[in-house]
Amino acid sequence: MASLKRSILLLILCGYTAFAAGPFVWAAMLSLRTTTEIHLDHFALPDPIHWEKFPDAWFNSNYATYFLNSVQVVVAAVLIVTIVGAMAAHCLARYRFRFNRLIYFVLFSTIIFPPQITIISLFQVLVNYGLYNSKLGLTLVYVAIQLPLTVYILESFFARIPADLFDAARMDGYSDWEIFWRVALPVALPAVATTVILNFILLWNEFLFAVVLITEEANRTLPLGIQRFIGDTQEDIGMIATGLMIAIIPVVVIYAFFSEKLIQGMTAGAVK
Amino acid sequence: MAIVKLDNLTKVYDRSHGAAADSVSLEIGHGEFMVLLGPSGCGKTTTLRMIAGLESITDGTLSIDGKVVNKVPAKDRDIAMVFQSYALYPHMTVKNNLAFGLRRRSVPRAEIEEKVQRVAATLELDSLLGRRPHALSGGQRQRVALGRAIVRDPKVFLFDEPLSNLDAALRVSTRVEIAALHRRLGATMIYVTHDQIEAMTMGTRICIMNGGRVMQVGKPLHVYRRPVNTFVAGFLGNPPMNLIPATVTDRDGGRSVRVGEAVLRVPEKRAPASMPGSPVTFGIRAEHVALTAQTGEDTAEIAGEVVQVESLGAETIVMTRLAGVENNFVARVAGDADVTVGERCRLFLDLSETHLFDAQGQSMSTEPNERTA
Ligand SMILES: Nc1ncnc2c1ncn2[C@@H]1O[C@H](COP(=O)(O)OP(=O)(O)O)[C@@H](O)[C@H]1O
Ligand SMILES: [Mg+2]
Repeated sequence: MASLKRSILLLILCGYTAFAAGPFVWAAMLSLRTTTEIHLDHFALPDPIHWEKFPDAWFNSNYATYFLNSVQVVVAAVLIVTIVGAMAAHCLARYRFRFNRLIYFVLFSTIIFPPQITIISLFQVLVNYGLYNSKLGLTLVYVAIQLPLTVYILESFFARIPADLFDAARMDGYSDWEIFWRVALPVALPAVATTVILNFILLWNEFLFAVVLITEEANRTLPLGIQRFIGDTQEDIGMIATGLMIAIIPVVVIYAFFSEKLIQGMTAGAVK
Repeated sequence: MAIVKLDNLTKVYDRSHGAAADSVSLEIGHGEFMVLLGPSGCGKTTTLRMIAGLESITDGTLSIDGKVVNKVPAKDRDIAMVFQSYALYPHMTVKNNLAFGLRRRSVPRAEIEEKVQRVAATLELDSLLGRRPHALSGGQRQRVALGRAIVRDPKVFLFDEPLSNLDAALRVSTRVEIAALHRRLGATMIYVTHDQIEAMTMGTRICIMNGGRVMQVGKPLHVYRRPVNTFVAGFLGNPPMNLIPATVTDRDGGRSVRVGEAVLRVPEKRAPASMPGSPVTFGIRAEHVALTAQTGEDTAEIAGEVVQVESLGAETIVMTRLAGVENNFVARVAGDADVTVGERCRLFLDLSETHLFDAQGQSMSTEPNERTA
């Protein structure tokens, strides 16, 4: 009976895994085949395996530049969002001051606006400040769009850290600034890891703002680079797949690294 | 060691709610173990946090060793505090929890190591130094919290109900441990609790608080024997003191009171003569009420009816009803006393141990040094 239940569960899990991982495996296979091969048979195994497509994309299709741009913009944005967001969340959760809840509400309520509403005015703002078509401009926009959700997630976590912990650190001689770095942030690490993963994946794949705010080849990010293989009349499916695979690697790395921390923090019962 | 002096210390959190601590005046001497005792919400924690520097002081002055420290930040007061929740840093090992405060004070590395080892040894934490708080039992966490205070060797120790999260057996042993710690370190300690057994057994002196105000300060036994008002009388002691509404009669020059249907003559030192007819509260502790005949010139006998018997082994708590009195009247007698519910009984009161409180609830005793001794 128990083994039957187990088998059914296993079957369901297998089905789900195939459903979730199937397209990924397919794209991985496409990335190792040429577009001509793909047109002959969409689902054939790579034979021969065209490893050379990866260096080809990297060196000849400007992927090195796109990748580096994406790393610069996304890492900077995630770093700023995480630090500023954590500080804001700590402050809103910990300190009593006038308009605390009002600030929190105004910040959070911006989540309801779809990006299409703000993008035209943002475009104008960036042009006015000379930040249009620059990595700095895109970074700042990324910070702005991800900050509310980050603050929201972190605030609720910081608020659950017992106040005694901060009082104990004050008695131990630490200033508010030191307490944030040495007590609040480490204790909130599971939540911080969550927002890092979330923000990283979202921004790494971000297309809408990038396509509107960046037109110069030298400043393009990866999602824009992949789009370049889609021409007016034909698409280079093989190279798109190769580009996708290159783009996915950092996401997998980040996820593997931080989800470890995430699970560690949760099973350790961080707040106790 | 230090002298901590509170002079009319007041804390108002919220104007509409009145003061959480209201003109608290108290002087805690070198090496004294002062216990702040009172019911939940009476302002004990608030007072302690003002001393710690965790809460701003609305009014009054706080001084340590003669220096006013109202505006001195917590970190510069050289005070350590043990929290009710222990407040151990969850992301640090026991060792780092102990060393955290020393690191900030830029104590040399080797010295930190040595101090941590020594404190860990005295608290039997040696084998736990590498663990994180979540892997410790309640008692162990409690000891780490104690250790974190001890290792800093502060001028003043503050404790906020440190035993309330422990089970009964551990509470007793830790109580003994903290008392021993105080004897060994000889440091000034201020200890907040709502548990009167802790207060009675640990305190050099106790300070009873109610509604943000200090009711009485004194040695535990003194406060027990000479409560200044009905609150203290009813709060300290288990079972609580019998407090019965009474009226002064015109007999014995205004020194006899009518309790229910009985008239009792209160010894002179326990109350001055007062106006016949004025309302008072008559108080006597359960241990000064006997069920067997007593001799002695201050013994009075009244009749009652047993309504409940609680046999605790070593002693028996007998609740009785007196004619014309609403409240129960409690006697504490020997464990082998033979009483049954419903029977009529004779109660023998040791009137030399009675307390009279005026209409405002203040003690009418004329003995000196009531409030502070
Ligand atoms: N941070 C605070 N803000 C507002 N009121 C508070 C705060 N802390 C305590 N109080 C109020 O002050 C009073 C005394 O509280 P407290 O000192 O914690 O009592 P105790 O420790 O004796 O139980 C209570 O009425 C409580 O509600
Ligand atoms: Mg309290």
